[in-house]
Amino acid sequence: MTQALLTESGYATQTGKILHTEQMTKLEKFFEISLPGGKDLNHAPGQFVMVSIPGIGEAPISVSSSPTKKASFDLVVRNAGILTGAMHNLEEGDTVGIRGPFGRGIDTNLLKGKDILMVAGGCGFIPMRSLINYVLDNRDNFNSVHVLLGCKTPADRLFLHETANWEKRKDLDFQCTVDKGDAEWKGRVGLITKLIPDVSITPSSTYAVVIGPPIMYKFVIKELLNKNIPDNQIILSLERHMKCGVGKCGHCQINQKYCCQDGPVFTYDELKELNEAI
Amino acid sequence: MDKYVVLKKSDFNGFIKSLSKTQKVMAPVAKGNNNYAFEEVSSGEEISISHIPTILPPKKYFMPQRETILAFSKKEHEWKPILEKEPLVVFGIHTCDLEGIQLLNKVFTTPPQDTNYINRMNDITTIGLECNDYCDEYASCCVMNNHLPNSGYDLFFTELSNDFMVHILTEKGEKITGGTPLFSEAQSAHHKALEQLRSKKKELFKDEVVVQNNELKELFARTVHSAVWEDIQNRCVACGNCTNVCPTCYCFDIKDDINLDLNTGVRIRSWDSCQNETFAKVAGGENFREERGSRQRHRYMRKFNYSIGKFNKYFCTGCGRCSRTCMAKINLKETINSLAGEKK
Amino acid sequence: MKKTKVAFFDFSCCEGCQLQVANMGEALLDVLDLIEVVNFREVMSERSDDYDVAVVEGSITSPHGVERIKKIRSIAKVLIAYGSCATIGGVNGMKNNFELEDIRKYVYQDSAHHFHTIPTRAVHQVVPVDYFVHGCPVYIPEFVKVLKSALSGLPYRVPDDAVCTECKLNENVCMYEKGITCLGPITRAGCNSWCVNNGNICYGCRGMVTNPAQKGQKDILDRYQIPMEWIENKMNMYNKARENDLAEEKKNNEQKC
Repeated sequence: MTQALLTESGYATQTGKILHTEQMTKLEKFFEISLPGGKDLNHAPGQFVMVSIPGIGEAPISVSSSPTKKASFDLVVRNAGILTGAMHNLEEGDTVGIRGPFGRGIDTNLLKGKDILMVAGGCGFIPMRSLINYVLDNRDNFNSVHVLLGCKTPADRLFLHETANWEKRKDLDFQCTVDKGDAEWKGRVGLITKLIPDVSITPSSTYAVVIGPPIMYKFVIKELLNKNIPDNQIILSLERHMKCGVGKCGHCQINQKYCCQDGPVFTYDELKELNEAI
Repeated sequence: MDKYVVLKKSDFNGFIKSLSKTQKVMAPVAKGNNNYAFEEVSSGEEISISHIPTILPPKKYFMPQRETILAFSKKEHEWKPILEKEPLVVFGIHTCDLEGIQLLNKVFTTPPQDTNYINRMNDITTIGLECNDYCDEYASCCVMNNHLPNSGYDLFFTELSNDFMVHILTEKGEKITGGTPLFSEAQSAHHKALEQLRSKKKELFKDEVVVQNNELKELFARTVHSAVWEDIQNRCVACGNCTNVCPTCYCFDIKDDINLDLNTGVRIRSWDSCQNETFAKVAGGENFREERGSRQRHRYMRKFNYSIGKFNKYFCTGCGRCSRTCMAKINLKETINSLAGEKK
Repeated sequence: MKKTKVAFFDFSCCEGCQLQVANMGEALLDVLDLIEVVNFREVMSERSDDYDVAVVEGSITSPHGVERIKKIRSIAKVLIAYGSCATIGGVNGMKNNFELEDIRKYVYQDSAHHFHTIPTRAVHQVVPVDYFVHGCPVYIPEFVKVLKSALSGLPYRVPDDAVCTECKLNENVCMYEKGITCLGPITRAGCNSWCVNNGNICYGCRGMVTNPAQKGQKDILDRYQIPMEWIENKMNMYNKARENDLAEEKKNNEQKC
């Protein structure tokens, strides 16, 4: 068996430099990363990158910044495994390996001229932020825009500066609810599903984008269907275990679909017949 | 290229001997208890001409169990893609396994292409060997249409009474037969003997299950909630042997292996199995195929249903390895027949 | 870089696992670039109580052993249980098949009153363990992996699939096909089916997989006409001390209820 360098490989990894970090919550840490030469990542909202730490491994992480942000991109990493745990030890100036972007993101052209209803729960807010900021940076292209955000507790909220600005904007309906408040919390307490009925949209020309934990999907989709939003205008993003990112390793397979290539963004229409999806 | 030559059986030993002097030759070798494995050989005498499917299929040469794909250095912030390969001649591949190789080729040449696999594939010469007899009760090569050669080889050997009839399909193949004076032009008697053998095989090889080939996809689509999967759930011990021995299972894991300097190291791709409990588990702990039965159903669906949508091919070659190796005696033919026996 | 100080300790065992380290050949030199061995009875006479990593061989079988392992645990930042005796109790567990007093008298005869003894326990049944290197003896490539993980501060996950998986990948002829009972189907992998590769059966020295699909396994035994008792007896050669884990588990479950 001989070993040789390979000029072209799906596993080729670029060195990403960490420009800035911030511990956002106990579990979530923010990273701003640049690629060699300040190259753009060229991603679509909803896409992910494979992030590597040498000797520890690689894991899929969704991109949290909008494609309108140039020269660097943002990741927010929840400390949930060996690699993500090790990432929490990294600081400004450290490097990580980056492959990607991978997957099918959200086709923002489809959303043009439509009412946009974004529903994010927990970690789902991280990739949703990419779309929210994209929509706000191109605000004239869209009709009414609604963002519903659900968190476990006020302490679990991310990007507080940004959400504070969103609350002030007149061209955006931003609402946040928590499962359980605390002494200082004056906002809404309760399930995110309760917010959906009162959102003012024209269902036939609305795209709903939902990103959150599996348990949330079942209830949120029911509400969206009650509101008469068509199946193919409900967009979801799924999370799966992944090793390759290029549709081969099999870990992310959902029935006949590969989450890493056919998704992670799917329409409800595509998923409703798949018994392993949600 | 479409040409037939013959090799005298008495010259076979010498042929492999001389071939093994120029290239590494892998071929089926007897391991006892009617078990066989592809191993390196240096003479024809070591080879089992009449063998049932080997413990592991020849996919192990195309997609090694462990393969380095990257080298890294922490201090230098460096990542270098690596290719591991070795020119090989693999002799004695049955028609079921030739199909297995062709299916894997399809997977890894479909974009995004896998350059590691493709480079290795191009360096391997495949020599098929016809099954003159039916191997055992586990095979279902006939219903999968893989009991006769359907391409996918460089050379194809058929054992006749005194000679091997050799079909040359590629230039790579012709280089081998042309490189030695041991091969001579096939005569009409040889062609006749080959024809006779093939028509005899039509009697010998019969469809192994109660449904037709073209009904299989639909059968698996409509039996997703069948009680057959519950029965399998109770029997399967999730050892993963069915996928490891499968010529078309290609799921893998990727892991880093750091050197003792704790600075440099390599990224390794290794075989993985969808039967492992943790295979589809995400970081949050959610497992989308937690039950053994659902993992087995997934395996079958990848062979008979999903693969049609993705590659327009069944990914079962009928080699019978999954049933042969299963200690719990989960049997592919029985599963198909039980599913087919359920009311529509 | 300051080298990590590593100390090897032995409790009730044959010290064969430590011998594996001494015999590891060239790789040992690379290991020694990384660590400073400060305590290793088999290869050096110096002793030190200043160490970061304790590699502990052997099971805990006496009150004195309990005190000693507690002291080691209080000093070591990282404790590696090393070899079957340490990780699962190993062959010393067979002691637990007998009444303690009977076995004490049987072993020590007239001087039994000098020797206090307790039922055999694996190290983790006495103090918390950070890493497990199973095996009788340990499989050196796995020990090197564990050492690298420990020195990098990363967890090492012992494979939890059966030895059969590795055995099949090594293309061994299945022992059951030869008519021989083997413990591969219920024993944790990670040894690269070392014994079977060399013509032996699997003796279960790495302990049992956590989720052994009991019904399926029973069916298999029935099919090969192997009585459950056989397997239990064979398994008890290395795994008798597992009963301590099961008792603990039961206690915890009761407390939860």
